[in-house]
Amino acid sequence: MNRRNFLIKANSYIIFGLPALQAMAAATRTDALLPFDANSPAALRKTHVGKPFVLAFWSVYCEPCRDEMAEWNAVKQKHPALPIVLVSTDAPADRALIDTFLAKYPPGPVQKWLFADAFTERVRYSVDKSWRGELPKSYFFDAAHRAEVKSGKVDRVWIERWLAKQER
Amino acid sequence: MRAAALCGALLAWACAHAQHAGHGQDKTAARVELAASVAFDAQGALWAVSKSGVHVVLRRSGDAGKSWSVPQRVNAAAEGIGADGDSRPKIALGPKGEIYVTWTKPLSKPYTGDIRFARSTDGGKTFSAPVTVHTDQQEITHRFDALTVTRDGKLFIAWIDKRDMVAGVTSGKAAKYQGAAVYFAVSDNQGASFRGDFKLADHSCECCRIGLLPRDDGSVLALWRHVFEPNVRDHALGVIHADGRAGAVRRATFDEWAVDICPHHGPSLAADADGHLHAVWFTQGAKRAGVFYGRLRLSGEGGVDALRRVGGEAAEHADLVASGKKVFVLWKEFDGTRARLRAMMSDNGGDTWRERDLFSTAGASDQPRALQHGGRFYAFWNTQREGFVTLAVSP
Repeated sequence: MNRRNFLIKANSYIIFGLPALQAMAAATRTDALLPFDANSPAALRKTHVGKPFVLAFWSVYCEPCRDEMAEWNAVKQKHPALPIVLVSTDAPADRALIDTFLAKYPPGPVQKWLFADAFTERVRYSVDKSWRGELPKSYFFDAAHRAEVKSGKVDRVWIERWLAKQER
Repeated sequence: MRAAALCGALLAWACAHAQHAGHGQDKTAARVELAASVAFDAQGALWAVSKSGVHVVLRRSGDAGKSWSVPQRVNAAAEGIGADGDSRPKIALGPKGEIYVTWTKPLSKPYTGDIRFARSTDGGKTFSAPVTVHTDQQEITHRFDALTVTRDGKLFIAWIDKRDMVAGVTSGKAAKYQGAAVYFAVSDNQGASFRGDFKLADHSCECCRIGLLPRDDGSVLALWRHVFEPNVRDHALGVIHADGRAGAVRRATFDEWAVDICPHHGPSLAADADGHLHAVWFTQGAKRAGVFYGRLRLSGEGGVDALRRVGGEAAEHADLVASGKKVFVLWKEFDGTRARLRAMMSDNGGDTWRERDLFSTAGASDQPRALQHGGRFYAFWNTQREGFVTLAVSP
């Protein structure tokens, strides 16, 4: 398990403007898919300052992601206060597929985002320089926003263990 | 159409030809479709296939990528064309200039598809109506088609197939079947018909491209991401024969990547004049993480020689070719602002290397393709901003 500092782009705080704030406010609406771009990681850190949160990436083309949705749903039911930010790495043109997927494999009341930049390397790099797009990929941020990085499907037991560490 | 030729002192090593022949689309377009494959024919013409909505389209370049013909439809009737992640249309040329094209047609259920094939025997003027290569007609995974032609003109198509996993579900043994399987079909008559569905291996990973390499004896070597017990997604090598036989599955890489994951990051395989096997692959195993090059041992217990990391921590989607004792590895790597096309070359079968920066783009791009023709190496890259970029790479 890697333990890695989340990348901070200092200028992201400066250019973090009104559209992003509006997006953040809308993030609690489960029907909305919020646009995720290279500025979003810094914006999410700001929103969740001093608090743990989970940033998890998936795609309609990823088979293990399907099974992972039930894990997020269960964790969210048990720990409603834990912010879980679920980001689809698909294109906006995949919206119908995404809606079908989420209806069939509901992740529960998590925040739902969608890649909003076709230059996906730029978005991935803003999250983690060494993320090559493999999915599912999850970042578990502690209160100081140090991330434990999970490549591949996460399971409830692992998440519960991570949560227990946050409560200590 | 805009053509840019960047040949001069600054690019003595590489001569770049970029042209807006690719599907360059801006960020507001419905979808950026960049997935493309390329191949040289025996006369040195370069052929490219790519996805354009509900069609695979073909283009020809007679000047190694400086200019391209207008796109021509391969499938006349509209159908779905898989181009997600490691999935893309493929092209191969036969010894008499036959043009063979495969793609995956997604079906209505997620992760399902059919392997489709069409051919042209008149230099691309007309194409046969697409056919489904496999006889299995279930609505299940038949995806990630790979295509190659042997020296004697036999056509091999391999793909990822879930019929055995599905059969396990039916018989109540689903929990015991890991991953998918690799199947293949062979045509002895320029793609007029296929013999199959032959199984190469059980328990492949579900979503990575397969590397195929034709050999002098008429067989084909395959390299794919496998699922080794208990759940290790390292690579396997296997030989397939035109009569449908498949050799033993041999472990090829030893990185210990134990995970349920969808990497969409398959390997590439090449052989040099001495018969040494060269490969590039991606792993995040317990032993190493990143993109790697190595020479694969086929004898004994197998193993990897001359193992070497490819690029930095953002390197991805490497490809390679070999000619004589020279090996050419190509990959892309985001530097924080631009996606860079980088290469490394060896003159001695992979013992020592030199690295070069070939090109960069400030937008979306496809996986790059390494090619060789007449002893010369080429890099092909479909970019959103510059279209098809073809670089002749001199040592």
